[in-house]
Order: sequence, then C-alpha cells, then structure tokens
Amino acid sequence: MTGTSEPILRLKNVRKAFGNLAAVDDINLSIGEGEFFTIVGPSGSGKTTLIRMLAGMERPTSGDILLRDKRINDTPANERPTCMVFQSLALFPHRTVGQNIEFALKIRNVDPATRAKRARELMQQLHLPADYYSKNVTLCSGGERQRVALARALAFDPQILFFDEPLSAIDYKLRKTLEKELKDIHRETGKTFVYITHSLEEAMVMSDRIGVMRRGKLIQVGSPNEIYSTPRSRFVSEFMGDVNVIPVESNGAGSVRSQTLGASFKVPPAAIESKAQCLVVRPEFLRFLNSPSDAQNSLKGVLYNEYALGSRIQYQVRVGEKVFLVEKLRQQPFKGKLDDEVLIGWDPENSILVADE
Amino acid sequence: MSENNNSIRHILIGVWTAAVLLFVFIPSATIFLASMTSSRYFTFPISSFGFDWWSKVFNSLEVRALALTSLSIAATVTVIAVVLGFFGALAFARYDWKGRKLYQKFILLPIFFPQSVLGLALLLWFNALGLTLSWKTAVLAHLVWIAPVVTLVMAIQVYSFDPSLEEAATDLGASRWQTFREVTLPVLMPGIFSGSLFAFLLSWGNFPLSLYTTGADNTLPKYLYAKMVAGYTPGVPVLGTISTAAAAVLLFGGYAAMLFLTRKRNAAS
Repeated sequence: MTGTSEPILRLKNVRKAFGNLAAVDDINLSIGEGEFFTIVGPSGSGKTTLIRMLAGMERPTSGDILLRDKRINDTPANERPTCMVFQSLALFPHRTVGQNIEFALKIRNVDPATRAKRARELMQQLHLPADYYSKNVTLCSGGERQRVALARALAFDPQILFFDEPLSAIDYKLRKTLEKELKDIHRETGKTFVYITHSLEEAMVMSDRIGVMRRGKLIQVGSPNEIYSTPRSRFVSEFMGDVNVIPVESNGAGSVRSQTLGASFKVPPAAIESKAQCLVVRPEFLRFLNSPSDAQNSLKGVLYNEYALGSRIQYQVRVGEKVFLVEKLRQQPFKGKLDDEVLIGWDPENSILVADE
Repeated sequence: MSENNNSIRHILIGVWTAAVLLFVFIPSATIFLASMTSSRYFTFPISSFGFDWWSKVFNSLEVRALALTSLSIAATVTVIAVVLGFFGALAFARYDWKGRKLYQKFILLPIFFPQSVLGLALLLWFNALGLTLSWKTAVLAHLVWIAPVVTLVMAIQVYSFDPSLEEAATDLGASRWQTFREVTLPVLMPGIFSGSLFAFLLSWGNFPLSLYTTGADNTLPKYLYAKMVAGYTPGVPVLGTISTAAAAVLLFGGYAAMLFLTRKRNAAS
C-alpha cells in the first residue's frame, strides 16, 4: 500500500519564506495515488503553510509542486482539482446542510435535482440523517459539522483531499470515532488523502505513511510502524508518546555508556553511530526484574508513582535524579508498592540509538 | 433572609428600570400630548383635545415637500454610505494592508468633529468650489459624517467574519465574483442591514449639517427648528411625533423582517 503506487503529487525543493524566516524549507516528497499521507509536527513547524501551498492558498517562494507531473505552483485554488477540509471547517453559516454540500456543484451549474441527489447520497454515506438536508448548518453538533464539511469536499470530487487539523477541536471520544470513520471513507472512495495534525497518535491510527516536520523541514518519512519503532532522532521518538531517553556515548563493541547514570548498556551492534546519541527505550519494553541477571541491561531505582492507563499501568521509577517510565499490562502480577526499591531492565534489541536532535 | 434580600433586589431593579424608561420616553410622550391640543398655543394641562393640527399637517403641501426632500437626502445618503461603508469596512477589518492602522484612525475622525463646525466648514468649502447649495450638497455633507459611522457599524460584523469561508468557497471552485456573491455578501448581510438603518435614521434626523448645506431646499428638522424659534404652532409636535413614529416603525419593521428571513431560512431551504 505504501510507495508502490504511481505518485500523484510530487514536491521538489519546495520552500516558503516570510521575510527572512523559512516557514517551509526545502521539502522533497512524493505522495502515491490513493495514499493516506499524514504530515505531523508541533505548532510552528510549517505544516499548515505546506498544506496551504499544496491546496493553492499560498505560493511557494521556490521549488516545484507537481500534480500528475504537471507543475501547479501558480494554479489558483479554484482551478485545482483538489479540495480542503479546514481547521475551522469553514461551513457557510447562511446555508443549510444540503446547500453546503451542494456548493461545488452549484458553482459548476449542475441542475438542482442532480445536486440534491448527490448531496443525499453523501449524507447517507457519512451517516447524516436525511432530514438534516434542510437544517441550518449552524444548528448541527460538532461531529455532524465534521461530516458536513467532509461531504462538501467529497461532492467536489477532488483528486486529492487535504485536511488541516479538522479534528483538533473535537473531544477525545468523538475524535476516536471520527478518525476511524475517516479511514473507512478513505477505503470506500480510494482517493488520495493528505492530512496534517500535531498529534502523532492521530496520524498512527489513520495513515499509510507519516512525514514528521520540524522547523520547516521534513525530518523523517515512513510507515507508522517505522516511525514508531525506528525513529531517527530524539525529537521523533519523543513525539510519539512517552519514551525513556538516556544521553549516552559510544563505548565500542556493542555497548554505550551514560555519564549521568554511571552505567553501561548493551545495544544491538548495528545501531552504533558516532555522533551525539541517545538511547531510547519505550515504557512497554522496560520491565521489573527479580534479579539483575533477568535482563541484559538493568538499573536499581525507587518506585515513585503509578498511573492507570486503562488496559495498562504505568509506573514512575526514579534512578537517582533520572525518571523512568515502566509499563505493564494490568493482568500481569506485580507486588511493588510506592517507595519500594525496584530493579528495572530491558533487552538490547528493544532499545534504539538515535541522534540527539 | 437571603430570599427576602433577593425580592428587595428584584423590586429595586424594577424601579430603576422603570425610572430609566420614563426618563427616556417622557419627552416623546410629551410631544405627542402637545400635538393633541386644538388650541393655537401650547399650554399645560391641555384644555381641549383634538386632532385639528394632525389633519392640517397631513393636508399641508409644504410639509409634503419637506418630507420629500428629507426622504431624498436620507435615501441617497443610505445608498452611497452603504456602498462606501461596505468596502470601507472590508478594508478596516478584513484585509491587512500597509497604512491600515492610519486609515482606521483617520476614517473615524469626522465622527468626533462637532457637527455645527463641520457644517460651517463644508459650507465654506462648497462656496469655494462654486457649488450651488441644494439637497444634493446636503447629501455630500451628511456623507462626510455618516459614511464613517456606517463603516464602523459594518466593521463590527466584518470582524466576526471567518476569512476561511472565502478560502473554502474559492477552494470549491468559485471565482472571485462567485465567492463575493455566494458567501461574502450574504454572510455580511446583517451588517449591511444595520448599517443602512443607521445611515437612514442619522440622515433623516440630522439638523446641524443640513442647516448650513441645503441652500434653498428645506428639510424637516430645519423646518421644525425654524418654527420653534419663530412661529410655533402645534404642527411642530405633530411633525415631531410622526417623525419619531416613522423611525420606530422603520427600526422595528426592519428587525422583524430580518428575524422573519432568518426563521424562514432555518425552517426550510
């Protein structure tokens, strides 16, 4: 599903500067036909500027944007066969649900009967009640408005659908539902989706591939699994939920040393790099040990606190000044109490060495 | 105890509200009463009630001419002020451009000029340009003061306008003109509506600017003032009452029409 299809959208050295500041800096990217591609980054990383260039609302300072090998840098938004779902949704407040969905068709002078038919099909596909057709859009709930916005964009029948963080203002439970619905719609329509969000968790659920942006640059592109299990930098590893990060220096021979902890750890030999590095271990790969020999790497600490995360329980263990997070499944037995001395450990193959940046 | 306090508070709020309403509406009520006399002069209490002066006013050709002049000025001012104010408000609140801050301050200056001084200044200016004074020069004078007010009233609506609505329309394939017609204009309609009400009412009731700039033409407020100074008849309060009532009808009628349209839109497409 990834990278094998023909590219529909290609970016070559795309750059956008506001004054001296490069909001988007030298981006090269190829997005495949039918792919669900998500760009993730913190606020200010340039992801909104990037998607606005792709949709035609901003013009790149330099570089090329190619849609099916045709350069579209200077094509205005209303002449591009693409469509965007806005962060604010930008539903027309003076129009009904039906009129909102039909907007693109009305602009194309499609006759009213055909327009209404298409709008009703889309409403059904997106689980909107049929009697909402003549309801004013401002009277709809948050989730319904999301669906209307998506229906309006789908009615346009775009070659690519862009999403500018449309779910960011939705509460957790509904957001989870809508994320799955959106992925279902992606399968049903087979269209190319380009989504931006600041939540890597959201990106994980939906995407075929993820691109992580930081300070205007695309720093890593890969499948959700690649981003999760083999981040290339400390930034990417920390972006995906809780991680334990230990600054280390190379010891040679499959081993690294931490100054602050005064300990050495074994790592997979292939992982050794030369520049400033961090050892990253995810909480679910750390476990409580009975004796130091139960794992190849171990540390002694104090159980400071515990957090129930539903099916898992996370523990905070302090090793000197350094805080470690350890996770276990709820049903796994564990007798430790707060302030107990505990042994924690992990296996070298469950740790990653990343650049300290 | 606290319930008792509460009821006292409610009574006091009621008394205060009634006092304010009384203060605001007694002058209008007094004028209405003054128009009901059948005698030549205004005495209080009124000795004999009658509608003689109402019929005299309604049958007076002079009053009809005056009303027509006032109406022509107010209508012309409304149309021009709304067009100027609409685009002025977009420049004021919607778009970011060099010099916007300065424009925002300068456009509001005429509102703070004392109107009688502004009227005199405009009179001198019209004379210097060699314009013959008439209701048309009054339109210009009114616009100097009213266009900024309308701009400000509409800018309030424009500030609450989400610019991504226009972007969304463009993104869905609409041209600039289609975006304007289908989105910008209808969404800003309430602002246009209140702007035109303001324009009409401010022009209709304006005295200090008209005093200097109408030349041979006469408006209702000017006529009323002249009659007050010399030659009072109960026709003055009659006209005052009619003028106030017309403004109220326009205001509430317009509001009701707006409400009706919104309801209709929400009920069915």
